[in-house]
Amino acid sequence: MNFYDGFIIPFVVGCAVLFTVVLYKYVRWFVRLPAADKRLVRRNFFSMQTLRGIGEVFSECLLHRRIFRVNPLLGYMHMSLAFGWFLLIVVGWIETIAYLGGRLVPIHGHVFFKYFSTSLPHHPVWGIDFSSVMDALLLFVLSGVLLAWFKRLRSRAMGLRRTTKHTLGDRVALSALWFVFPLRLLAESLTSAIFHNGGFLTGAIGDALAAAMPLRTLSTLESSAWWLYSCALGVFFVSMPFSRYMHIFTEVPLIFLRRWGIRSGEKPKSFDHFQLEACSRCGICIDPCQLQRDAGFNNVQSVYFIRDRRYNMLRPEVADNCLMCGRCEQRCPVGLDLNTLRLNSRSRLHDTPSDRRYDYTAGIDRSSGTGKTGYFAGCMTLLSPKILRAMERIFNASGEEVWWADREGGVCCGRPLKLAGETNAATRMMRYNEELFRRHGITTLVTSCPICLRVFREDYRLEGIEVLHHSEYILRLAKAGRLQIEPGEELFTYHDPCELGRGCGIYEEPRELIRCAGKLVEPAETREEALCCGSSVANTALNDLGQQRIARSVGASLGETGADAIVTACPLCKKAIARGTDRPVYDLAEVVERHLA
Amino acid sequence: MIQWGYTINQPRAVNLDRNDLTAARRIIRQMPELQACIACGSCTATCTAGNLTQFNFRKVHTLVRRGEYEGAYEEMNKCMLCGKCRLVCPRGINTRGVVMLIKRELGEY
Repeated sequence: MNFYDGFIIPFVVGCAVLFTVVLYKYVRWFVRLPAADKRLVRRNFFSMQTLRGIGEVFSECLLHRRIFRVNPLLGYMHMSLAFGWFLLIVVGWIETIAYLGGRLVPIHGHVFFKYFSTSLPHHPVWGIDFSSVMDALLLFVLSGVLLAWFKRLRSRAMGLRRTTKHTLGDRVALSALWFVFPLRLLAESLTSAIFHNGGFLTGAIGDALAAAMPLRTLSTLESSAWWLYSCALGVFFVSMPFSRYMHIFTEVPLIFLRRWGIRSGEKPKSFDHFQLEACSRCGICIDPCQLQRDAGFNNVQSVYFIRDRRYNMLRPEVADNCLMCGRCEQRCPVGLDLNTLRLNSRSRLHDTPSDRRYDYTAGIDRSSGTGKTGYFAGCMTLLSPKILRAMERIFNASGEEVWWADREGGVCCGRPLKLAGETNAATRMMRYNEELFRRHGITTLVTSCPICLRVFREDYRLEGIEVLHHSEYILRLAKAGRLQIEPGEELFTYHDPCELGRGCGIYEEPRELIRCAGKLVEPAETREEALCCGSSVANTALNDLGQQRIARSVGASLGETGADAIVTACPLCKKAIARGTDRPVYDLAEVVERHLA
Repeated sequence: MIQWGYTINQPRAVNLDRNDLTAARRIIRQMPELQACIACGSCTATCTAGNLTQFNFRKVHTLVRRGEYEGAYEEMNKCMLCGKCRLVCPRGINTRGVVMLIKRELGEY
């Protein structure tokens, strides 16, 4: 059998470009990985993680399980395109082997098998009617294409209020992809109209075509259809490595590298490329973004940030305009570290060498008290004296002897500076505070600020010191019987601060404490889905109006619960939400203090 | 002689005709809300860094707007970016953004 015809050229050229570029990119990124990352690969290559990675590749790259969780129809669309196409390739391969045995067939021979196999007898091999199986698979993929067209018209029906604005390159690739499968159907139907070798779908369409037009027209049309099909494939393959469709391949190495323990860090590194190009620009991150739905920004969401960074056109206005609340990261079906990527982009934009910065902190120590339990109020609590007083009463009531780290003024924890991208300078403040805590020999460090809590847990070297959020600490006191909290009748609703909930995974402790003091009702979006107050220190670009709009929307959503008062566990959230609601907003410590026996 | 603790201030006149206001204008263009500042000093009163040093945010940004760039970058580098000033500002100015903007624009001074 001869496997050559002029129309295969666009396909073969496309394939060659695709695999050359993809291979070049992967080798380059991999070679540039830091030595520590390469060590991780070597150490974990032969481990269970690799097997689990294979499972994840199957469930995420082909079945798209995580998108099903966002919306079943959207999940089906992605699955039918990915898994359907994969099966077309695999079953197509098996079909060739079934018909021709171990004979070496060039790659286009598999793809255009229907065209080249017209001389073979058309009957089931190994008891399988391959033509019909392939038709069923093609129908499966076509249902996805149909849904993709439908999504253009009615994205809301598929769970997306807004979809991604695409670049020109993406549009070219997208159009080519949309045409690939209908053209395949047409080409195979025309061939089957002439040679009667189709399955239930292509055969039926082919018979209808054969009845409608003479053989000469059919054969002209057949040749053009195969040309068009090959061109669509070629265009798609050439545009693939430069468009969003690079994710099709890149998610695979990303899953394995992540399984082997490689993570993005606060400085940019080669691994980030795998993350950036694994983004499919599906746009699932757009809807949860409060900057979009409340403040009216349409070009700063993670999908656009990643795109801009990938094509080297990232501007500070985009990189800095993000609350880093983590709502998009929580939803991302590829599991990208969106906040970390944003953070290291900012560090590239804003970080400066800072050998002498904050030298003025040397020798400063305004702490007081002698207890083994330290309390770090943090800047925001210092600005909320009610919380500070409540904490003092709680400490007194429990008989705890406290070392007050910063009541008379201290050095910031460093997280706001780190989030703004000045990682080097932030480290200098962190070292100052670490040294201060060690000097006073504390064994427990309590803070009422989730921003401080997160940086203490993630970036400070505090071996031997237990770091607790005040919600955890107060609950512990209450459980040990050192605090008597009297239950009341008030109805509270609780706002999860981003840094505490999604950031540190603390959801239950504050709720348990609120239930000790009154009744608790949950807002519509809560826990992992909780809204951001809008005043996050991570955003240095949002103006006051934007912050107020978000606060009002959060206030309204909390108010809808009908609660008498709003409780939160972050001084910054407290101040922010208070601007957006007419209900009283309390910190957890205030609620506990008011119900102390 | 008895020292009463009084001194004579250096003259503090700023000559706007002689100062090069290009950078100041660039800063205002990017952060127009800075013009809403009423110089109340709340930012400086709450400032974490100002509590430990002579750092004075109000003074630095006021001087910068008048074309006095000398030392502004070094002064702004004392800021810890904690964000207290932003919460107390009665005019709702994005003070943290101002710090970063001044540092970006005046890095070479």
